[in-house]
Amino acid sequence: MDATTKETEESKPFTFKEFGDALLEFFSSLKLAIFLMITMAILATVGTIIQQGERPEVYIKEYGETAYWWFVKLGFIDIYHTWYFSSILVLLCINSLTCFQQRFPAIWRSIRQDKVNVTVPFIQSLKRSATVGLAAERGHVTEDMALAFAARGYRVLVNKGDAETTIYATKGIMGRVAAHVAHLSVTLIVIGGILGNVVGFRDFGVCIEGETYHIPQGNFDLHVDKFWIDYYDNGAVKSYNSTLTVIENGESKLTKTITVNDPLVYKGIWFYQSSYGDSWDRVEKARVVVREKATDKVVGEAILEWKKEAVFKDLGLKLQLTDFVADFGFDAKDRRVYSKTVEHENPAIKLAITEREQTLTSPWVFYNYPDLFDIQGSKYKFELTGYLAKKFTGLQITKDPGVLLVWIGSTLLVVGVTLSAAIYHRRVWAKVVPGPQGQGVTVYVGGTAYKGQIDFDREFNRFTERLNARGSQAV
Amino acid sequence: MFRALFLFDVTFWLYLAAVVLYFSYLATSRTVLQPAMAGHPAETTVKEGSWAEMLGLLATWVTFFGLIVNGMALGARAYERMQISGTFAPWSNQFEAMAYVSFATIAGYLLLELKYGIKAIGAFVVSIGFIAMGAASLLPYRYQTAEPLVPALNSYWIYIHVSITLTSYAAFAMAGGLGVMYLLKERAERRGMAATSVYATFPSLEKIDELGYKAVMVGFPLLAFGTILGAMWANYAWGGYWSWDPKETWALIVWLIYGAYIHARMNRGWEGHRAAIYQIFGLLMVVFCFWGVNFLLSGLHAYA
Ligand code: HEM
Repeated sequence: MDATTKETEESKPFTFKEFGDALLEFFSSLKLAIFLMITMAILATVGTIIQQGERPEVYIKEYGETAYWWFVKLGFIDIYHTWYFSSILVLLCINSLTCFQQRFPAIWRSIRQDKVNVTVPFIQSLKRSATVGLAAERGHVTEDMALAFAARGYRVLVNKGDAETTIYATKGIMGRVAAHVAHLSVTLIVIGGILGNVVGFRDFGVCIEGETYHIPQGNFDLHVDKFWIDYYDNGAVKSYNSTLTVIENGESKLTKTITVNDPLVYKGIWFYQSSYGDSWDRVEKARVVVREKATDKVVGEAILEWKKEAVFKDLGLKLQLTDFVADFGFDAKDRRVYSKTVEHENPAIKLAITEREQTLTSPWVFYNYPDLFDIQGSKYKFELTGYLAKKFTGLQITKDPGVLLVWIGSTLLVVGVTLSAAIYHRRVWAKVVPGPQGQGVTVYVGGTAYKGQIDFDREFNRFTERLNARGSQAV
Repeated sequence: MFRALFLFDVTFWLYLAAVVLYFSYLATSRTVLQPAMAGHPAETTVKEGSWAEMLGLLATWVTFFGLIVNGMALGARAYERMQISGTFAPWSNQFEAMAYVSFATIAGYLLLELKYGIKAIGAFVVSIGFIAMGAASLLPYRYQTAEPLVPALNSYWIYIHVSITLTSYAAFAMAGGLGVMYLLKERAERRGMAATSVYATFPSLEKIDELGYKAVMVGFPLLAFGTILGAMWANYAWGGYWSWDPKETWALIVWLIYGAYIHARMNRGWEGHRAAIYQIFGLLMVVFCFWGVNFLLSGLHAYA
């Protein structure tokens, strides 16, 4: 009884630590990293093959209903925001952070001090190694080799013992530091992305020239001074632009013309020129033809400006264009007219009619159906024969406090990856020992390259050739 | 002033000639090799005959000349663009982008030849440059001309974002070509004919492998940089740095694929045979990212 409790008491902290180590090992493993990268690549591919964020009809039409049901279940229609995709990103961060924690200290230590004392078998076991006998003095050989290494940009450490000298030369450790900079930067980018999703917002504003809009997130107003489109000679659209003024506490703070690649920024809120289009509830002007009911003859025609009165003196008629919808819809409950879609499917204008100083009912006049309503009490009927829709400017309104972190992370990522690709870590060891029968010296030299083997081979050959040349000089 | 399209045509024929020359170089090296082999079994003693030497030299010069014309064609196109729209980036549509990739691939190859002097690689990598140029010239005419840019593209970002991304594709193309070369050489070795056939002029397997890795290590940072520049541009043009648009997603996919390659090499020993296959697979993914996405998937980049 006693013995068993003792045993569990002893083994408990041990297994716990073991478990922790195993966990750390797992999370910092390259295997996990490769698995995560490949899995993320596959999931991202799924997201590009199946269109994201479409309306259900689109999927059902293309893939059928069963498939659509599965897509919804599996999150395939918004795969980049599923729990599993996010988990992969988070795991990748944990993976690279633990990797950093596990491996970076050793690299850091080797910047300060490194293995200088090695054995001859160690040197001979290295990927490249050579043995050269020289009829020269140990001090000279050592100095010569140290200079040769230094000339190639190596940092050289010499350990002079009683009988033998060990030389250690290294360069390019910064390449490995850079790889770890890249690892850390991944987490920065992901954090920046999360921050943007949690704290930031992204809205779309359909704005009309001359109007003022309140921006609640920044507690200021935005006035659209002007919107216009520039064209190339061949008629293609070259750019579209809006002049915007920020108004805060009744004061104009800032005016800027934004265009597609040039947004306005105020109080951390970005206004992008994102699109434009024909608005669905407003026209600049409309052409109206007036016919006499009795004869069906055209008796007048006018281009009506938005909300401006037009007077037909000889007909005793005043018309005003008071409303417009692009796709006529009628809400029976609220008795309200609205535009069913943003498309100009069934356009109609509302006319305010004053005939011989008498205000009549205001009818809707349809572009597609000229004779739909009879206007009681009027001698005339009205036809809408054309209109010019008011253009709206589409503004993307965004705030993303994470973006700075993303840029810092991205910069570090690019710098880290570039340096790690350009700088190769190399190490060379040499031992200069007395030659056979105390004649001259024997040099054992060997080295490894963490990568970039062929370039290292060339460099190593140059070192050994130089040594050999020295030998032949001395002989 | 030459029309750009004419110069692109000339480039095409020059690259074709270069490919033929590199293959003839390989073929003629073989015949001279056999007697030399008897006395010198070591690979380093491979001697090209005078024919091979001449063809090799000619191949290099024709390639170089092709590169110059390719560059001039891009320059002429830049000039044409300047006339119509005030931006000059000669990589603003699919055709130009492919012509630029072929320029970068060939330029990369010539640098490689200058540094390592291994002409056999030319047969593979110049072929890829040639194929890119050839595929470009197969595009319908309306894709080849310089149309004015849509507003979102009309920006200085296009100069750097597109060119860097395309250069990374060229590096991956090089890695893919080296992967093919590796597999061929490996097969020849398995059949015991590596020393006596055209494969004798190939560098050692280890060297091919290492060069392939180096090519990836050029492409990987470039693609990272190019993609991030794209994100910065998107942040100005579309109001968000990342919108999971198919093109940018595919750039990420390709980047992750090569990221896995780099790390797999490090610990899972994915060198040699597997790395070669992976490099070819990677190139196919790049080709999809470059072409497939534009033609098969819809998205914001569809105009590119
Ligand atoms: C997705 C983001 C990542 C990027 C961009 C990245 C990038 C790099 C680069 C460029 C290198 C240098 C490669 C070379 O020298 O050949 C490297 C090395 C390495 N990576 Fe990553 N890596 C990422 C994620 C990870 C993760 C999650 C791990 C987790 C195990 C990891 C483990 C390593 C290790 C152990 C090295 C060798 C470092 C050394 O020199 O000691 N990497 N990485």
